[in-house]
Amino acid sequence: MSTENNKTLFTPANIITGIFLAIGLVITVLRFTKGLGYVTNLDDNNPWGIWISFDLLCGVALAAGGYTTSSACYLFGMKKYHSAVRPAILTAFLGYSLVVFALHYDVGRPYRLVYPLFVSPGTTSLLFEVGLCVFLYVTVLAIEFSPAMFEWLGMKNLRNKIHKLTLALTVFGVVLSTLHQSSLGALYIAVPSKIHPLWYSPYLAVLFFVSSIPAGLSMVIFEGTLAHKPWHHMMDKTHLDEHEGVILGFARGASIALAAYFCVKLVAVAYDNNWHYLATGWGAWWLLEVLGFVALPSLLYAIGSREKNIKLIKWTAALTVFGIILNRFNVSIVAFNWQLPASQRYFPSWMEIGISIFVVTVGVTVYRFIVSRMPIFFEHPEYKDAH
Amino acid sequence: MEFFVYHDYMMFTKSIVYVLMGLFVVGFWGLWAFMTSRDEEIHKMPEHHKE
Repeated sequence: MSTENNKTLFTPANIITGIFLAIGLVITVLRFTKGLGYVTNLDDNNPWGIWISFDLLCGVALAAGGYTTSSACYLFGMKKYHSAVRPAILTAFLGYSLVVFALHYDVGRPYRLVYPLFVSPGTTSLLFEVGLCVFLYVTVLAIEFSPAMFEWLGMKNLRNKIHKLTLALTVFGVVLSTLHQSSLGALYIAVPSKIHPLWYSPYLAVLFFVSSIPAGLSMVIFEGTLAHKPWHHMMDKTHLDEHEGVILGFARGASIALAAYFCVKLVAVAYDNNWHYLATGWGAWWLLEVLGFVALPSLLYAIGSREKNIKLIKWTAALTVFGIILNRFNVSIVAFNWQLPASQRYFPSWMEIGISIFVVTVGVTVYRFIVSRMPIFFEHPEYKDAH
Repeated sequence: MEFFVYHDYMMFTKSIVYVLMGLFVVGFWGLWAFMTSRDEEIHKMPEHHKE
């Protein structure tokens, strides 16, 4: 019996997970005992590194699938996307939880996390607004996700009570997401002299919010594609039947949202009259981002949706996810402090990258635990048609 | 092009943005028409040809 258990435990995926977790734990100890300077390349010029760029900015943008999917289903009445809601809510809940988790590495002293909200609130600060929204939205996502957990635990009464709050929670989630997705962009409005003019814009808040919509929709397609093979046996007939419709519908939405994002990007350049920068090296990099990872995916989604080409849509989702990550890195690292000499520019240390991999690994591990047990890809037999 | 007063700057950039907005409206119509054109073909199909 123990030999069988050992066999199932020591799979290649589990071994790799174990190695990443072990390395991450060692770096975690080093970070909290020896300080930021020991594990990071951060300095006074670059106080925010990849823990903010990747774990926070990308994490929040890619977790937008929660509010986009739930609003499509519950606010706009598109019930054909119902089977995608629980996986999207789970991804969003884990994404935001990991954002809060990863933030501890940057700010340190986890026991003081409540200070900005309850002890010394800086109500004129955008960071306060972001913190408050993320705190409230994680709570909303936890409540939105809880029916799946209660179904798994057999707590019928509690599940039914919370299920009645679905519409109110969805409205609350959309409002909070609109606020903090845009506020994360607005944070960078405070540093006009540090960000390259092609990426700096008074419209950064709008750009961050609009780009979060295709990011969320693409992440739902991308994550659904990755989950389809290992958890195919967990998916019920409804989920499998609706899968293609979800991909085609979301591709159409993502194509329009990316086109809108492309338009706002151009308006931002026109508004500040920054056209002449396009002829420089920075301009080439900007054009690569905007044409290669915004305009091209919009067109590919449109072609995929028109031709009902699921494979093309899935690859486009990966391209879009990469494009959103590239944009957040460009705003917060690549085009940040662009005037400084190369020797003073920031590049993450291997331990910073290690922590980011550790955070993603924790997320994947918890995701695997949950979808293998709880009714995420299938409807619990006792609650069929109870939506 | 150089701008000597703020008014010139605002006039110029606004004009470009208005032109872009016009192009975007036409672009969105084109994108939507392209994406949904096959839907209409499917709707026009006789019942026995639909999947």
